[in-house]
Formats: sequence, structure tokens, C-alpha cells
Amino acid sequence: MRIRTTREQRILYFKTTFRWVLYYFLIFFSFIIMTSGTWLKPIFLVPIALAIAIDNNQYGSVFTGAMCGFLIDISCGKLFGYNAVILAFFCIVVSLLFELYLRHKFINFMIISAAVSYIQCRLDYKFYYEIWNYENVERIFTRYTLRVWIYTVISSVFIYLIIKLINHFLMPRAHLTIEEAITTKTQQNQ
Amino acid sequence: MREFLKSTRFKILLAFLAFLVGIMIYAVTKGGYSVSGASFINTVTKPFRIVSNKISMTIEHKLDLFSNSDDYYEENKKLKEQIGQLNKQLTEYDALKTEVEELRKFVSIKEEHEDYELSVPCDVLGYVANDPFMSFTIDKGSADGIKPNCPVVTAEGLIGITIEVSEHVSTVRTILSPDLSIASVCSSSNADYGIIEGSVLTAENGNTKLIHLRLDNKLKVGDLMITTGTSGLFPKDYSIGTIKSIDYDTSGLSMCAEVEPCIDIDRLTSVIVITDFSGKKEDQ
Repeated sequence: MRIRTTREQRILYFKTTFRWVLYYFLIFFSFIIMTSGTWLKPIFLVPIALAIAIDNNQYGSVFTGAMCGFLIDISCGKLFGYNAVILAFFCIVVSLLFELYLRHKFINFMIISAAVSYIQCRLDYKFYYEIWNYENVERIFTRYTLRVWIYTVISSVFIYLIIKLINHFLMPRAHLTIEEAITTKTQQNQ
Repeated sequence: MREFLKSTRFKILLAFLAFLVGIMIYAVTKGGYSVSGASFINTVTKPFRIVSNKISMTIEHKLDLFSNSDDYYEENKKLKEQIGQLNKQLTEYDALKTEVEELRKFVSIKEEHEDYELSVPCDVLGYVANDPFMSFTIDKGSADGIKPNCPVVTAEGLIGITIEVSEHVSTVRTILSPDLSIASVCSSSNADYGIIEGSVLTAENGNTKLIHLRLDNKLKVGDLMITTGTSGLFPKDYSIGTIKSIDYDTSGLSMCAEVEPCIDIDRLTSVIVITDFSGKKEDQ
């Protein structure tokens, strides 16, 4: 990697800060939507946490996962910390998976997002409805849980694009572009 | 991966997860009161949620008008017929009212529900996301004297009970939920007792269920069910809803009924919390 100048370093700090501000603005906005109205809504915060986790380190991912989890707990009226534990765990796993084994592809994100949101919805159904053995409880799964899961998967597409857009402009690139490599080489020769 | 498992980074992440589990366990032990983190988030986001919920409800209302216009047309016709009937009844009512007011002069009646201590009117902040039983949050909390397990009502009837209270926001469990059981009795006969307890099926239509009715009950469609007040959780003689249909229980040993709450629970804008009343048991 090329050594950065002080100016470049400052720009990097600014971009990183601005990127995280945008992430958290998106999280806040999603939380507000989730707490409004009476219709069924996707759990936006699950794909958001995962999309952030795939491009960031484990510390940032786990904190964001926990934060999104806490907000889900508040908006969905669940035990405070319950979804935070689930999402923090999955954010670590997803961050590691994309760091070590998976490529940053849209399809990979969609599979992971669908799987994690299904697990989140299924656990929610299990612990909040099925375990209490309500009469006709399976209707909650078909009429609420599955629909919320499908909405969440559909919303993942847009969330992925938004996070990608933010990262495209504000994420420091890990590798030099050809132009940068040529410029660097020229500078070294001089 | 093996290197990651041995690294300090892994230990820090593990410690953080343990910390989150700790918070969750701590939240369980709070007995209905929100932990300070949730309370803080609720307070900070309250104004945004109010605005956003108003926008959302307006949009939903407009879309609802378009999508259900046929239903509304039919409903409108029925309502016009009902208005005609009600106008007739109103004439009779006015005559009776005059008579009753004359009689009232001779009877010393204590003002209805004088024992109640009511909160200030609470605005509904929003419904709990994706909850089949329409739990909702209100904009008043422990700072306004609200505690967990306080009855939540409107002038029309009982709505539910507060289950989680933070400083400025409380969550309300409605009578549509199977987790809330209320002893009730028919107001006209004062003899047919039963338990109001929500169910998955009735909640889909915005109704609740009356269970454990005797086989020889005299209930009929349209009867008003009121609270008995025996549990000490709800005040006595408060309206809950009217009987919509009566049927045998799945066991066949008792009867059950679908009860339509006195107010549309999915269209609430403001409610009142009864913070105290005579006969209230504190340790619920």
C-alpha cells in the first residue's frame, strides 16, 4: 500500500466518519418507519446490520448489530437485549465469513440476509408465540412471521444497494487502482 | 479461522456478547420497567415517532379509502338506516332523560367512578411492529404516575393494561392478546360470568374471546360484557365489549363467545390510564 499524505489521511478520516454517520442515519430512519402505522412491515434493521457487517471490521459490525438489535427490541416490543444478542452474533459471523471465505457479491448477501432474517423471525415466533401454545398459533406463522420475512428479504435488495452506494463513495479502497499504481510508480521513479 | 479463535479480538467480541446477554437478563429482572438504555432511546426518538406515525396513519387512511371504497359504500347505506332508527330512539331517550333527571333530584348518587385516579390523556405513539394482538405505545410513563399493570381505557370501554413502563413511554397489551385474562359478567343479567381472553383467530378480526361460559348461560348477541373487578387488576363494572357470536368450546364442556370491543383497537389515537381505583391490588 502506498503511504498516505496528511491531506489524504484527513480525507480518509472525514470519509470514514461521514460513512458511519450515514449508516446510523439509515438505521434511525428505518427504526422510525418500523414504529409507525399499523401495517406489517419488514424488519429493515436486520439487512442493514448485515450489509454494514460485510464491509466493515468485527468491532464496528458487532456494535452496529447490537444497536440494531436494541432498536428492533423497542420497535417490536421484545425483551430488551434479545435481538441485540442475536444480531451481534450474526454480524460477527457474517463479517468473518466475508473476510475469510465469501466474495462481496450481491447473491451472497441475499442468501445470508434471507437466512439470518428467517432465523430471527423463526426464533421470534418460537419464543413469543409457539412456546406459549396459543390456540391456532400456526396462523401467526403463516399470516405474520412468513410475510414479515418475505418483506424483509425484498427490502434487503434496496438496503444492499443503498449501503453499496455509501461504501462506493466513502469506503477506503483496499487495493490500488491501475491509475493509482501507475501514478505511484511514476512518483517512485522520480 | 483458528488464528481468529485464539486472538484477543475474539475474546473481546466474546466478552461483548456476554455483556449483551447480561443486559437481557437484567431487563428480565426489571419487572415491567424499561432498562435505562431503552428508556433513553424511547425518550430521544419520541418526537420523531410522533411525526412519523401521524404521516403513516394519514397515508394508511387514504389508501384504505381507495382500496375499501365498496365496503364503505355498503357500510354507509347500513349506517344511514341505523341513523334513522337512532333518531327515533333519541326522541324517546330525550323524554326518558327528562324523567330521569327529575328522579335524580331525589336520589343521592355518587358521581360515577369517583374512586378512579386517572392519568392525563395519553396519545398513542404507535403500534408495536408486526404484533398480531395490536399492542401499542403511549406517550406517558412513570414520570406521569403510570406503573406496570394499570388498566388502559377510553370513555367507550376497556382497552388493555400497561406492561412495560419507561420514564416517558409505556407499552400497552390489549384485550386482543391471549396473555391478558379479564373476569367479566353480562351487564344486563349480571349472572353470566366468563373470562375475556384474546385468541389468534378472533384477533384477526379485531375481536376478543369470552371463554369458560356455563352451558346454561342466557347470553345473546349484542349483550354488553363488563368487568367484575374481582381480580383487583381492573375496576368493577367497566365496559369491555358486546357479544358478537356464541358457540360451544372445542371441548364441548363449556361455551365461548366472540366479543367485539367497545372501541376499534387498531384505530386508537388517545387513551387514559387508570392509575388507581378502589379495590386495586398492588402486587399484581
